[in-house]
Amino acid sequence: MRKAGVGAAAVVLLAVLLFFAVSSWSRQPAIARPSVQPINFPHSVHVQTYKIDCQYCHADARRSEYAGIPSVERCMGCHKIVAADRPEIKKLAEYAGKQTPVPWTRVYKLPEFTYFPHKAHIRAEIRCQTCHGAVETMTTIAAAPGPTLANDLLNLVGFKPSAPVLTMGWCVECHRQQNATRKTQAPLDCVTCHH
Amino acid sequence: MNRRDFFKIVATTGATAAAAGCQQATEQILPLVVPNEQLVPGVAALFATVCRECPAGCGVLARNREGRVVKLEGNPDHPVSQGALCARGHAALQGLYHPDRFASPQRREGDVLKPVGWDDALKTFAEKLGGVKGKGKALAVVTQLESGSLGSLLDRWTQALGGRPRVTLEPFGYEAIRAANRATFGRDAVPYHAFEDAEVVLSFGADFLETWMSNVRHARGFARMHTFRDGKAGRFIHVEPRQSLTASNADEWVRNAPGTETAVALAILKLLVEQGGADRRFADAVAAVDPKKVAEDSGVPLETLEQVARTFAGAKPGLAVGGGVAVTGSHATQLQIAVNLLNAAAGNLGKTVRFGPDHAYGKVTPYAEVARLVQAMAAGEIEVLVLGNSVNPAFTLPGGLKVADAIRKVPFVISFATLPDETTALAHLVLPDTHWLESWGDYSPQEGIVGLLQPTMKPIRDARPMGDVLLAVGRTALGTEEGKGPLPWSTVEQYLKTTWDSVVKAGQWNAALSQGGTWREVAAAGVTARVERVDPAAAKLAGGDGFALLAYPSFRFYDGRSASRSWLQEMPDTMTQAVWDAWVEINTESAGKLGIRQGDVVRVASPHGAIEVPAYLSPTIHPGAVAIPIGHRYAPYHVRLKYVQPTADVTNPMALLPAAADATSGAPAFLSVKVTLARTGARRPLAVLQATHDQDERELVQHVDLATARQEALAGGRHEERHPTMYSEHEYKGYRWGMTVDTDACIGCQACAVACQAENNVPVVGKAEAAYGRQVHWLRVERWADGEPGHPHNTFLPMFCQHCEVAPCEPVCPVFAAYHTDEGLNGQVYNRCVGTRYCGNNCPYHVRRFNWWNYQFPEPLDVQLNPDVTVRQLGIMEKCTMCIQRIVAGKDHAHRDEKRAVRDGDIVTACQQTCPTQAITFGNLKDETSQVAKLSHAPRAYHVLDEIGTRPSVTYLKKVVREASGPAPRAGRPQA
Repeated sequence: MRKAGVGAAAVVLLAVLLFFAVSSWSRQPAIARPSVQPINFPHSVHVQTYKIDCQYCHADARRSEYAGIPSVERCMGCHKIVAADRPEIKKLAEYAGKQTPVPWTRVYKLPEFTYFPHKAHIRAEIRCQTCHGAVETMTTIAAAPGPTLANDLLNLVGFKPSAPVLTMGWCVECHRQQNATRKTQAPLDCVTCHH
Repeated sequence: MNRRDFFKIVATTGATAAAAGCQQATEQILPLVVPNEQLVPGVAALFATVCRECPAGCGVLARNREGRVVKLEGNPDHPVSQGALCARGHAALQGLYHPDRFASPQRREGDVLKPVGWDDALKTFAEKLGGVKGKGKALAVVTQLESGSLGSLLDRWTQALGGRPRVTLEPFGYEAIRAANRATFGRDAVPYHAFEDAEVVLSFGADFLETWMSNVRHARGFARMHTFRDGKAGRFIHVEPRQSLTASNADEWVRNAPGTETAVALAILKLLVEQGGADRRFADAVAAVDPKKVAEDSGVPLETLEQVARTFAGAKPGLAVGGGVAVTGSHATQLQIAVNLLNAAAGNLGKTVRFGPDHAYGKVTPYAEVARLVQAMAAGEIEVLVLGNSVNPAFTLPGGLKVADAIRKVPFVISFATLPDETTALAHLVLPDTHWLESWGDYSPQEGIVGLLQPTMKPIRDARPMGDVLLAVGRTALGTEEGKGPLPWSTVEQYLKTTWDSVVKAGQWNAALSQGGTWREVAAAGVTARVERVDPAAAKLAGGDGFALLAYPSFRFYDGRSASRSWLQEMPDTMTQAVWDAWVEINTESAGKLGIRQGDVVRVASPHGAIEVPAYLSPTIHPGAVAIPIGHRYAPYHVRLKYVQPTADVTNPMALLPAAADATSGAPAFLSVKVTLARTGARRPLAVLQATHDQDERELVQHVDLATARQEALAGGRHEERHPTMYSEHEYKGYRWGMTVDTDACIGCQACAVACQAENNVPVVGKAEAAYGRQVHWLRVERWADGEPGHPHNTFLPMFCQHCEVAPCEPVCPVFAAYHTDEGLNGQVYNRCVGTRYCGNNCPYHVRRFNWWNYQFPEPLDVQLNPDVTVRQLGIMEKCTMCIQRIVAGKDHAHRDEKRAVRDGDIVTACQQTCPTQAITFGNLKDETSQVAKLSHAPRAYHVLDEIGTRPSVTYLKKVVREASGPAPRAGRPQA
C-alpha cells in the first residue's frame, strides 16, 4: 500500500516536471532573461537621469530589422569624459583601447522562424516599452518579471506577470487592439512574421 | 536496484532535464567597435562588380548583409547583363563560400600538399623567381582571360622578370571566327552580334543561349527579337546534329549529319543567290556547291534548305552565326567564312554583325601558342610555371596534349587558386587567391565597356590577391623597392586606381564604382567582304567506324570551373533533366543495336583515351553521333554528409580528344574523333528529375499558331474564365499577388531555379536523394516535347507553387500550416507544420517539397543563407512563397518610406529578377494597370490543369508556334 503511494507520488512528480519542461519549452519565444553582463549597464541612469533617447544608442531601430547595439565608439563618445573614473567605465575604456567589441549577453531573442522588424513598429509609433517593459526603471535589462519559474507558477494560478511575455498570442492581441483602436493596419497574416 | 531507487533516479534525472530545458544556450551580441558607414545591420547594401565565372563579363550587384554577401543579382545598368544573371553567375557564391577553399598556402611535400605560412611560401617563391630571372624564357605565366588592369599588370610583371609572353587560357576561344574574319574582312576580331535587331536568326551549332560568348546578353537580345509581342515575333533556325537547349528554342531545328555544316551553309547561300535574294557576285563562291548532293550528305531535305534560304533572305535584317562543338573540327574556318558570306549576301554587316564593339575573345592566346608552351614544358625548358585562378589546364585541354605529364616536368609550379582541382594537385606551391567577390579589378568584355570589380566583403579565408603577391615577390626577386623600379605599385588596388586616373575624370571614380564601370557606344566600323570560294568539305574525323564525338561545353559547368558549385550539380540539365552525374547521349536506335540501356555504364574509347560514363538515350541526337558534356567533375564539396557521397569518376570527354588543332584557325578541334561504345556491364542509373517529357494530352503547355496569336492580339480580347467552387469566395481587401510566365519567352536556362535556391535557402540533397525524387527545388523548369519523338517541339514550363485560390493543399492540412492569406498567397507556416505530407500528396502540381533530413550547409556555406528566410528542418513541408520576404520588404518600403501603395517594380521576385528573357512578371492582380493583371487577361493566357478548378494565381502565356516549313529531316549518312 505504502509502496503504491510512493509510486503514484513519483508519477505525479514526473508529470508536474514534464509539464514545466514542456511549458517553458513552448514559451521559448518569450525569452527575455536577465543576465550578468560584462559591464554593469544601468538603463535607468541613462534614460531617467540623463534623458537620453532610446534611439540615440539603438539607432538602427528606425531603419532596420534590428534595433542595434551601440558601437564601442558611440559609448566612448560620451564616456571619454563622462564618469571616466568609474570602475565600470574603465572596463569599457579597456575594450575601446583593445579595439574589441563588448561581448554583451543577448537578452531578447525571438525564435529563428520569426521575423520581427523594429522599423515597422517604430514607424507605427509603438513605444519601445510596449514590448521591452519599463526599461527606464531597470538597472539590469529585463530584470522586471519575465517568464521565470516563479512567474510560470503565478501564471498558472491566474496572476499575469506584469512584463510583456513576447509570445505570439501577445503579439497578435496587440495587433488586433491597435487595428481596432488606432485604425492601423498591423498585419495578422501568419506568413508576415513566419517565412 | 529496488523500485524505490529506480523512482528516485528517474525523478532526479527528470528534474535535471526539466531545469536544463528551461535554459537556452547563452548567446552574445557583439557590437561593432567603429560603425561602418556603408553597412546598417539588418539592411542589405549592394555593391556593383563584374562576374568572372566566364569571359562574358556580366555586371552583378552583390547583396551584402551584415558584412557577408548573401545573393548576387544582375546589374541593371550594365550593358552586358542588363539586370539578368545566369545560373553559373548565381552559383559563384558557392565558390566564395566553398568548404574546400584553401585556408592557407600549401607546399608540396612528397605526394601531398601541406599548409605553410605566407612568409615561408613567399620566400620560396621569391627564391625560385630569382633563380630564373636571368635565364631567358624559363618563366611562364598562364591566366584566364584578363582584359583589364590585372592583365596589363601581369604583362609588365612577366616582362620585368624576363618570362615568356603571358598565355591566356580559355578553352573556348572562338579562333575559327577570328581566322574567318581575317580571311573575309581582314580583321582579327570577334564582332558583336546584335541578336536584338535581327528578324531571323540562322545558327550553325552556336549554343548562344548556353555558353557561346555571352549567353545572358544573347538571351536578352534573343528574347527581344523572338518573343511574341504586339503581333510581332522573330524566327530562329538552328542547324545542329543534336537537339541542344539552344536547338530546342529554335522554331526550326535542322538536324544535319555531324561535320556537314559548311556544306549546308553554302547550299543555303547558293539557294539564296538562286532565289534572287543576294548579289550575283556570291554566285562564284558557291558555284561548285550542289544543294541536292548536300541534302543527301547532310540528311537535310532540299525543301528545308530552300525554305531556310527563303526565310533568311526575307529578313530585314537577319543574322547568321556559327559556333559550338559541331563547328570546331577541320571545317571550322570554312564554315565561319560561309557564315560571313551569308551575312554579307543578306546585307547584315554593320546591322546585326558589328565590328568595332569587338569581344575581348579576340585577345585570347591562340591554342597553337598554348600547345607550344606545353611542348616547352615537356621538353624541360620551363623552370617556373605560374598559374592564375580559374585556370585548370590539366582538365580543360585535350587529353592528346598530355598536359599533366608536361606540368610534372616543370621543376616549380605555383598555382594561385581558391579551390583544389586537377591542376593544383600537380603544383609545388599553392597560394590562396581572393575570390573575385573579394577583389579589386576591372574587366572589359567588349570594346567600349569596362566593368569595375570591387571587394564586396572581407576575404573569408586567409587569401591574398594574386596581383599583390606577384608585385611583392617580383620586387624581392628584382631587388627593388616599393615606389621604384619596374614594379612600383604596392597593390593591385593602387595600380587599378592609377590606370583609372586616365579613364575617369577627377571625382568621377566613386560614380563609376557604384555604377559598376563605364561604357560608351562604339560605332560599327564599315567592312567589306572578300568573296572567295569556300571548300565545302566535311569535318575530318579520326578513328574508323564509330560515332562522331560531340564534346560540348556544359551550360551548367562551362569548362568545368563551375563544377564545384553544388547548386549547379543539382540543377537539372534542362534537356535530359539529369542531375549530378555526367552521361553520354546516344541515339535510342543506335543504342538498341548495341544493346545499351539507359544507365548502363559505357566505355567510350577514342584513339587518344577512354572514359566510362552512364548512357542517356535520346531519340533526337543524330544516329551517327554521341554527345558528352565537357565540365563534369565531382567537386561540390569533399565534406562527407549523410546524404551526399563524394564520387571520383573521370567523366571528362577532353581525355578522348587529340592534341591536334584545326589546321586553318589553329583552334582546338572538339569535333575530331570517332569513338566506339562498349558496355562495361556495370550500371549507374542517372538521377533524372522528370519522369516523362510526354504531355499525354494533359495540355500542361499550350500552343497557339502565330496567325491566330496575331489576330487575337490585334482584336484585344480579354481572357477570363472562372470555374465554380463549393468553397466560399475569397475577398481580397488589399492586394492580390499573382504571376505570369510567358512560355514563348522561356528558354529553359534554369537561372530562375538557382536564383530561387539562393534566395530561399533551398538545400542540396545529393544524387541518391534526388533519384528518389526528394529534391527540394521550389521552382523547376520542365521540358515538354510535342510532335514526332525524333524531332520534337520542346516547350519549357517553369513550375512552382501556383498559389491556387481553391487550393487542394489547404483543406487537408490538419494543423492549418497550409492556409490562404489575405493577399491571395498559399501560406505555409513552418512552425505549425507537423509533416503529415497530406498537402504534398494532394497538390496536383507536385510543387510541395518535404525535408527528409536536416539538410546541412557545410561551413562556411551557411554564411550564404538569407537571414530573412527561415532555414527549414527535418519533417517540414515547404514550397514557393512568391518570395514573401520580398513582398514584406516591398510593402514596408512603399507604405512606410514612400507613403503610397505598392506599384509595379516595388516587389521583384528572385526568379523574375534574374530571368534573362524577362518571361516572369509579378505584381498585384487587383490593380488593372499593373503588368501582371494585363498579362493575366491576355488572349494567350491559360492556367495549367485549369479544368480541375484550382484557380491558380500563376497564369501562363501560350507558346507561339511559327509556321512550319518542310517535313522533318531524315537521318543522313554520317561523314567520314
